Amino acid sequence: MANRLLEVTDLEVAYGDVRALWGVSIHVDAGSVVAIVGANGAGKTTLLKAISGLVPAKRGDIRLSGTSLLGHLPEDIARMGIAHVPEGRGLFRQMTVLENLELGAFQPKARSNIKHALEKAYDLFPRLKERTGQKAGSLSGGEQQMLAIARATMSEPSLLILDEPSIGLSPLVVQQMFQLIETLHKQGVTILLVEQNIHQALKIADYAFVLKTGELAMQGTGAELIADPEVQKAYMGVLEL
Amino acid sequence: MTTISWKWAAALLTVILALVPFWPGAIDSYLFSFLFFVFIYAVMAQGWNLVAGFGGQISLGSHAFFGLGAYTTAILWSGNYLWGSLYETFPRIYYFDPVTMVLSGLVAALAAALIGLPLLSKLRGDYFALGTLGFGEILKVIFVNGGDFTGSAFGLVTPSSTFETLMPHYYVGLGLTVGTALAIGWLMRSRYGLALIAVRDDEMAASANGINTLKVKVAAFAGSAFIAGIAGSLYSYYIFHVGPDSVFNLDWMLLPLMMTVVGGTGTVLGPILGAFIMYAVFDIARIFVPDYHPIISGLTIILAMLFLPKGLVRKILPMSMARN
Amino acid sequence: MTLPSPEILLQLSINGALGGAMYGVAAVGLSLIFGTMRLIFLAQGAMIILAAYLVRALFQHLGIDPFLSLIIMVPVGLAAGWLIYQGLFRKAAAEEDRNISLLIAVGVMFLVQNLMTVIWGGNTAAVVTSYTASGIELLGVRASFTRSMGFLIALAGTALVVLFLRKTLVGKAVRAASEDMTAATLMGISPHKVNAIAFAIGIALAGAAGVAVATTFPFNPFAGFIFSLKALVALALGGIGNVTGALAGGIILGLIEAYVQFFISGGWTNAIAYGVFLAVLMFKPEGLFSRPYKKA
Repeated sequence: MANRLLEVTDLEVAYGDVRALWGVSIHVDAGSVVAIVGANGAGKTTLLKAISGLVPAKRGDIRLSGTSLLGHLPEDIARMGIAHVPEGRGLFRQMTVLENLELGAFQPKARSNIKHALEKAYDLFPRLKERTGQKAGSLSGGEQQMLAIARATMSEPSLLILDEPSIGLSPLVVQQMFQLIETLHKQGVTILLVEQNIHQALKIADYAFVLKTGELAMQGTGAELIADPEVQKAYMGVLEL
Repeated sequence: MTTISWKWAAALLTVILALVPFWPGAIDSYLFSFLFFVFIYAVMAQGWNLVAGFGGQISLGSHAFFGLGAYTTAILWSGNYLWGSLYETFPRIYYFDPVTMVLSGLVAALAAALIGLPLLSKLRGDYFALGTLGFGEILKVIFVNGGDFTGSAFGLVTPSSTFETLMPHYYVGLGLTVGTALAIGWLMRSRYGLALIAVRDDEMAASANGINTLKVKVAAFAGSAFIAGIAGSLYSYYIFHVGPDSVFNLDWMLLPLMMTVVGGTGTVLGPILGAFIMYAVFDIARIFVPDYHPIISGLTIILAMLFLPKGLVRKILPMSMARN
Repeated sequence: MTLPSPEILLQLSINGALGGAMYGVAAVGLSLIFGTMRLIFLAQGAMIILAAYLVRALFQHLGIDPFLSLIIMVPVGLAAGWLIYQGLFRKAAAEEDRNISLLIAVGVMFLVQNLMTVIWGGNTAAVVTSYTASGIELLGVRASFTRSMGFLIALAGTALVVLFLRKTLVGKAVRAASEDMTAATLMGISPHKVNAIAFAIGIALAGAAGVAVATTFPFNPFAGFIFSLKALVALALGGIGNVTGALAGGIILGLIEAYVQFFISGGWTNAIAYGVFLAVLMFKPEGLFSRPYKKA
């Protein structure tokens, strides 16, 4: 059986009195691409935030390679090998491309390897190399997303979490984005992906979970779900004939 | 404690305090003047609590309005008009004249509205606080340079010959403390009060619900200034000499602020409780460790913030007083 | 009113600018602390005066020249800043209500102020050395030696901070945290570490400023608050978040004060300073050297 890198069990998250997640369980196998899809407000971002420690869990468990992540501070979870690219990218817009990348390798473990990681990042994202001295805020939307992902790879994480990477990007750029994700996948990076663009997400995903109002509605391989009539009807606007 | 019993306790305490002067020898006792000062601070604290606790706007300029109120009373009373003919038209202002006191409050409130409108429409949070701080200092300089009208750096002297006992001060102080508490309690239950809390908790949502957030905030600021102005007026009747260093003193802002915070911001009883306790602590410190007592104030607030950030009232009366 | 001679104007300007650098260095400290903790550390002025008293004590009891005492004051400031954060502000920084931190800062201000009064008395103090009254030639005009030294201290301090922020990874982490703390934590940057570093540097700068203040003019325990206010004015002029701007803001404030004092009167300098402050806050909150920034 494949190695379970991330195991989320019966997770419950609440914002004050408002419950956002009602006992959700997902898993991510090492080396795979896992997608979490669903409508707006389904709880996808909350799930990611709970994994990186940005919001506390009320109940349930989150384990990274067997170690529980509950109760840990986000900065500690980051050091355990999770790189989270939040919705909105979380770039330091006043700082240059190079500085953003350097900060991606801030962790002591990654710091010694910074030169090597930079080279790898520039190989993967040649456009960033051109703009290395520019302020991150002056980049185009697609470039910013690339920078955010590149920054996340700087720490050579065991798990890369991407929250809505295609949001706000033009269709062509979105294509490039998903090609990039596929490239990273081929390099062996484990990726957990939240996406509104269900079609693209299911195409590249090895496995996927469908969230609906805070609960797990469906799960299966990418291929299975694409072909599923329910999914097609509810999320992909396929007309019933 | 249930909601009913603390109200009865407060009423009982008020009655007791009202009867204190009738105790033989009470008037000349130290306790009497101690309570008087507690009342002034309690009123100032409640004023600050209105704009900062209930309104969510930290103001660091209450001493400016205190000073304005004190000066208004002194100017009106000492007859120090620039236009002398006012003497003939209006009857002589007398000791503890309610019209003068209300006028003092109104002058302060007007100033607050004038300065509050631009400040509140442009500044948020910390920046607003800084703006009010600067305002206080500017006002002080203006009054120092006001020539004969304000008595310059020395200030104005009012007829101290009218002073007989501390009785009127005590009762006015008690009345103002209780009255302000009742007024604020009633106000926070009214539609305006709900709007104020809504603006404090989530300004965008409040504005989306049709609340004119600027009007609400300026009103709270002006209301708080009105209260501070009246407190200043009361102080003016006590000190008989109003000068910039004594009435525009930062302590009139910082101490009530600390008292409210220790007592519990955003509660009705908090400021009053805080005033009692903090002033008692300061006075005890002044008596027993006279050399070090000023340090106590700084220490107290630091400790209060570290261990009791939500204030005493919320610890003692967890349910009912949490009017926030 | 006749315009004074150009020499006098130049001398005025130079001494004003030199003196203003002290506000600037205080403002740099405020800027760091505000950037990471979104806290206006009102006690910064009090810390500077405390440092001045310490410099005086070192001079009077141990005969250490004030400028030499920089070697002691800066490390002491670093350590003190670190400890103050860990002891007083660490817990409050995690709270959602930022007013708590503000009030603790007010408490520290009160505490330090009164501590100084208790230890050294409330009267004005000064440090008088062999060079207190001496002057140097600057641009053809006589400028105060101590003010010039103070200016150099301010310049050096600011330069070091800027180097730290721009060239070191930890410095970049501080900048990143100032911009977006949440995103910074996702990089493994610990908010508490960053806050503590900012605080340590801020208080170290206060220590350096204390040396400048002690040698330049007489001081008393209550001067700290006004100093904090002036530092805030400098910060507002320069634009919050702009470290070099903070120094420039201080110099500008120094110039304004010098002119007001000369052309109007000393009593109005404070009021005009606050007036400028209010005006900048309301009409150009991003500072005179407008760079895009985020209001808290």
